[in-house]
Amino acid sequence: MVLDTLGKGLSGIIRRLITGVSIDKKAVEEILSDLKKVLLESDVELKLTEDLVKKIRKKCLEEKIPAGLTLREHVLKVIYEELVRVLGEKPGSLLGKKRIMFVGLFGTGKTTSVIKLARYLQRQGLKPAIAGLDYHRPAAVEQLIQLSKQIHAPVYWNENNDPYEGAKVALERFRNYDTIIFDTAGRDALDKELADELRRLAEIIKPDEVLLTIPADIGKVAGPQGSEFNKLVEITGVIVTRLDGTAKGGGALTSCATTGAKVKFIGIGEKLEDFEEYNPERFVSRLLGLGDLQTLLEKAKESEIKPEKVEKVIEGKLTLQDFYEQLKAMQKMGPLQQIASMIPGFGTLKLPQELLEKQEEKMKKFAVIIQSMTKEERENPEIINASRIKRCARGSGTKEAEVRELLAQYNQMKKLLKSMGGIKGLQRGKLKDLAKSLGFGF
Amino acid sequence: MFKILKEKLSKLTKSLAEKLEKPKIVEREEVVEREIKEEGIVKKVAKKVVKKIVERKLSEEDLESILREVEVDLIDADVAYDVVKKIKSDLKASLVGKEVKRGKEREVVISSLKKTLLDILAVPEIDLEEIIEKAKEAKGYATFIFFGINGVGKSLNLTKVGYYLKNKGYRVLLAAGDTFRPCGIEQLEKYAEKIGVPIIKGRRGEDACSIIFDSRKSAEARGYDVILADTSGRMHVEKGLMDELAKIVRVNKPDLKILVLDGISGSDVVPQFEFFNKTVGIDAILFSKMDINEKGGNVFSVCYLFKKPILFLGVGQDYTDLVEYKPEKFVNSLLE
Repeated sequence: MVLDTLGKGLSGIIRRLITGVSIDKKAVEEILSDLKKVLLESDVELKLTEDLVKKIRKKCLEEKIPAGLTLREHVLKVIYEELVRVLGEKPGSLLGKKRIMFVGLFGTGKTTSVIKLARYLQRQGLKPAIAGLDYHRPAAVEQLIQLSKQIHAPVYWNENNDPYEGAKVALERFRNYDTIIFDTAGRDALDKELADELRRLAEIIKPDEVLLTIPADIGKVAGPQGSEFNKLVEITGVIVTRLDGTAKGGGALTSCATTGAKVKFIGIGEKLEDFEEYNPERFVSRLLGLGDLQTLLEKAKESEIKPEKVEKVIEGKLTLQDFYEQLKAMQKMGPLQQIASMIPGFGTLKLPQELLEKQEEKMKKFAVIIQSMTKEERENPEIINASRIKRCARGSGTKEAEVRELLAQYNQMKKLLKSMGGIKGLQRGKLKDLAKSLGFGF
Repeated sequence: MFKILKEKLSKLTKSLAEKLEKPKIVEREEVVEREIKEEGIVKKVAKKVVKKIVERKLSEEDLESILREVEVDLIDADVAYDVVKKIKSDLKASLVGKEVKRGKEREVVISSLKKTLLDILAVPEIDLEEIIEKAKEAKGYATFIFFGINGVGKSLNLTKVGYYLKNKGYRVLLAAGDTFRPCGIEQLEKYAEKIGVPIIKGRRGEDACSIIFDSRKSAEARGYDVILADTSGRMHVEKGLMDELAKIVRVNKPDLKILVLDGISGSDVVPQFEFFNKTVGIDAILFSKMDINEKGGNVFSVCYLFKKPILFLGVGQDYTDLVEYKPEKFVNSLLE
């Protein structure tokens, strides 16, 4: 099911864009209409989706294609850039931001993110302090205390459970710290009582930075909630949490668009270290269901410049050096599952997870083995004999059997490509695409 | 609840009814015989006459244009594409070519929409009391375990179910199985105190499986009727953590495995259910945070795709904020 939806998803569109034989205006229109459906299904709001698609269409079809790019690459580039534009570029530093306030719905990961951010700031050499202002959820303050002990950050909470007094005291007590992070109670932005509390808190705290936590799996509620929060206090940044699941994070896109705030951090796990500065390339790639779009983009560009390499592969002149570069490229592109789905004919094939994991493990080993070969061995693998195998195994810390397995796989791949090159009637263009999608297009 | 979904549905019924109300004038050729007296002889003459007939039917094209608009609307309300497709094809089947009496347009449209929605939202019912009685007969108590990803509201809704059962006269025991999250145990302890039920707990980091096992021993010894066991929230893709759940289920053999899904989640509820179901076999679903779920399409997806009983809907922060899921009532309120 997950694989099926992935196949239907944006990755399918992008895959078609990359591997399609020819792309004309009609194909672009089709892709755009699919893009709309997929964005909606990935929890992006309707209005935002329409705006985005409209803008992408305009740029794709009306703007002049930059020199050196094909229509295919141009479309890919525009889609990618527009998505990045909504989500924001790499965020600026939080240095010098003294008062950071967290807001968000219940159960979106505020408290955890507060601690993760404090930890992040500590690593930057700053001295953060934490104020716990969530007196609604039972044991919320206790949780904050326990967590802050782990990172040795001071924490203050009000014993009378008065958030306003708590905020004032924290401001006074922590005035010598670099940053004070305020955790607030989770709330529905439309709940009047809590909304008032938040507004009053913001008046007291006068935050330099207001961060909204948005779980990656949030649906289209993200839009209205985001704009309500923004009415109460001006949101300056978004933290996308729970990105370690299957969710695509379309809701985050919506929140960014409605609040005008950009993603600053992402939470990618339960450990305190599982917190990253937001990286637009990686995030958009995830939204698109691709491992690393940047690599693909570069690949798409470079493959046009170096056609001779693809030719060489088709003719069966594959060296171990090529094999190595292919392995590296594939590793950069992300999990095998996704790569497999990009290869025409493999997209609908369900490969068992364990097999893929094993294969990934093997690929890593292969790369290491090739690294311990001489240049000559890489160019002319035929010269590798038993004693060379023994040396390679020792040099790379692997077994001789594994070196042999690598050589066997390399020979198999070479043979396969050669035999395919000889099949009559098989279009050369298609074969080139296949070779490209196998990772030979560098 | 579902304010936006309601708006979208009422827009759909309105445009369909309007289309029906606007009668179409169709020209139809008919042959009319007339008798003509001509020179004393009566002749029958056939003549073609074009008659104008008022039709009150929806054609496929009429429906297509409305549905295309509605499709996007519904997807925007978090309704999964497969479900939208089903609504469309059902409406087509029940409305295209059907004669509709004047003044009955709205009624007809609403009743076919209702049928479709009921079809989607109907799930097997679940009788909590029956499950408890059965388990009590077999071993003296029933064990319910709650699962879900982080932050969906497992502990709060478990407490609500506890309060509900307590008011029904059952002796309820909570098991603090969330031993991972800092203060997960303390939180449940406070909840237990508030609703006045006992709790079995261990220390943070202890094995959740053994705590639930202890609570079973305690229920056996002290005659509790129902154990409500919490578990730590976890991402459904974490294989190691999911294996831990499989072990909890294997060891404790619960009578009901409840998955808590977040009302504000979008399309991700589908893989979440699939992963948890694969690991532990989900018996029933509890939807939390429904009070802020204005679109509600995720309920449609889950009901339609999985047909699992919906135990309750969580609708607020209080211990009584729990409503039973009645598809009929739900659909009626949507089409009000």
